[in-house]
Amino acid sequence: MPEVKQTEYRGSIHQRQKDLMLKWYERLNEAAETGTPPTASLMISGNCVELLEAFGAVPIYPEVNALQLAIRHQSLEPILAAEEIGYAPDNCAYVKADIGCYLKGITPTGGKLPKPDLVLCNFVGCNTYVKWFEHTAVLTGSKLYVLDVPFLCEDEPSQAAIDYVVRQLKEVVTLLESITGKKFDYDRFTEAVRCSAEVEELWSQIKHLARRTPSPFDAYFDAITLMGPLYVYRATPEGVEFFRAALEEMWQKVASGQGVYDQEKFRLVVEGPPPYPYFRTFRDMFAKWKACAVASTYSTVGGLWEFGARHDPDHPFESVAMHMLSQNVTNRNYLQRYEQIKRYIEEWNADGLIIHFVKSCRLFSAGQGDMRDYVTKTLGVPTLYIESDLEDPRYFAEAQTRNRIDAFFETLEHSKLTAKAV
Amino acid sequence: MRVAAGVDVGSTQTKAVVMTENGGRSILARALVDTGANVRKAAENAFVVACHSAGIAPTEVGFVVGTGYGRYNISFGNAQLTEISCHARGAHFVCPTTRTVIDMGGQDAKAISVGSDGQVLDFVMNDKCAAGTGRFLANAADVMGIGLDEVGPLSLRATRAVKIATVCTVFVESDILSYLAQGKKAEDILGGVHLAIAKRTLSLARRVPLEPDITMTGGVARNVGMVHALEEVLGTKMQVSPDAQFIGAIGAAVFALEKMDQSFESSMWRPEYATGSGH
Repeated sequence: MPEVKQTEYRGSIHQRQKDLMLKWYERLNEAAETGTPPTASLMISGNCVELLEAFGAVPIYPEVNALQLAIRHQSLEPILAAEEIGYAPDNCAYVKADIGCYLKGITPTGGKLPKPDLVLCNFVGCNTYVKWFEHTAVLTGSKLYVLDVPFLCEDEPSQAAIDYVVRQLKEVVTLLESITGKKFDYDRFTEAVRCSAEVEELWSQIKHLARRTPSPFDAYFDAITLMGPLYVYRATPEGVEFFRAALEEMWQKVASGQGVYDQEKFRLVVEGPPPYPYFRTFRDMFAKWKACAVASTYSTVGGLWEFGARHDPDHPFESVAMHMLSQNVTNRNYLQRYEQIKRYIEEWNADGLIIHFVKSCRLFSAGQGDMRDYVTKTLGVPTLYIESDLEDPRYFAEAQTRNRIDAFFETLEHSKLTAKAV
Repeated sequence: MRVAAGVDVGSTQTKAVVMTENGGRSILARALVDTGANVRKAAENAFVVACHSAGIAPTEVGFVVGTGYGRYNISFGNAQLTEISCHARGAHFVCPTTRTVIDMGGQDAKAISVGSDGQVLDFVMNDKCAAGTGRFLANAADVMGIGLDEVGPLSLRATRAVKIATVCTVFVESDILSYLAQGKKAEDILGGVHLAIAKRTLSLARRVPLEPDITMTGGVARNVGMVHALEEVLGTKMQVSPDAQFIGAIGAAVFALEKMDQSFESSMWRPEYATGSGH
């Protein structure tokens, strides 16, 4: 058996995930070559993939393509290509990487990516994405529909907001009928929503297993791996099957007391996406201290389900609208984001919070200085604030990042030692 | 005699401190060398010079802790710690009432909240930008053709400090040239430069509770103009030890002594951290 590095997930789920994602790219390649199945570009957060599933259409997630490039150390070339035609250095690097890919004809796997039949901008929380998808539509000549999803300023969305989104979703249905030439299959839609609800339940149960000590998986680094199938296959039986297997594997780990490390020393909550161009380096900085993420806000970008929300096959349109309006972290207001972190720290029994500020994502990162103050001063929980980027390798300074992380754990370690001594 | 050492390999200079514990802890010797391109060599030189000054052989040193950016390049070190931990501990050693450290080095500016035992409670550092660091001052000195040691005293003579709008280490040059072209006095320009850095540093430092006593550490603490500017913006006096530049190395040496005492058991000391076998 080959030697397994300590920071690698030990189990079969990651391989199954790779196979599923490869299959997705193969379907996209097929769509590029033959024109079928139909495809639509979507953004991850608060997506309405269930509608596509009802038409047998396959989602294209430009963010997944961008991060796949970054993790393969290939994001700088398309970023520079986008900057050459006028995108500013501080524009969202996901946008630049994606636009640069169109300009350069680059794809993460080397296979073909289809021209989307529909560019469906499910804008939630990030208005940069509106421009991104508008530019994508211009570059590809594809049809564009921009869903207008009101930002969640209150605790819950109003009925008017839900009705407003549902009306738009029904317009998308009409649009998809004309694009695909197929009549909307309500039963298939309901079934897709049912699959989503089941996947959400399974994913939620997996996340709750991280409350245990040791946690059977890293709810940041390992969760990211599981997030691919979560977005692409959520509304499908394959997704349900995958997450059933994942939950079973996690339970086996729990039963045998297997954690991420031989000894879990620190339990963390992480806010913000990782620096994908240095994913492995970044992970190893935490592994060195045997620090395991037990919860992460980034893993709720696609959907926030660990606190009970689910899609509802009895009210499919309304539940898709609710998901878009309130059950994803990017459309939620800061006080809700504070509460989410607070619950993770308390209920998942974490020692500290790591905030990764993303340079090229001002929308999501703005306010994280206040978040740091809230967590350190109001909750009294140690917090580390580090800055780089999720896609642009030029923003990552390894020595400085390592220094901050080492200093944080030196401090945390001392706090634990003195707490024990008292 | 129980002897330990701390070596702080900074971006500009490398500092070594040899310390003994004989009833109480005391510093036997210090050494300072330019870091230059060969980090490993600089660390070795500083250590050997410090040992020589202390009148002991390097083999008599029981434990060495490395700190600073080059800490993993110290071939003879027994353990490594970040300079954040070491500055807190070093400041506590020279001034036990320290509750906040403001450290300004060649490429870093940081503020550290310190507990009563010298441990780090919280810290903030500058972003990947040299604004508010020694490098900013060095650039300003360069463009004005004034020695780095002179800029501080000269800035104290400012009567009408200019406003330096930028905190960018590169763009400050054009600001300065523009003021020189307008015939502004060197001391007024430098007064503005020091004030700009002080404001920038304190906007960062205010993210931790700036509780007294505040101790300034790092090479920039030798600059009287910078100390003055920071105190003016802070509205309070700071502790500035004559050993300000050596605080990181002192903290490392204190940790090294503690390790010898076995009073500090921690994974910081686990074997994979030790890059050398010691002496």
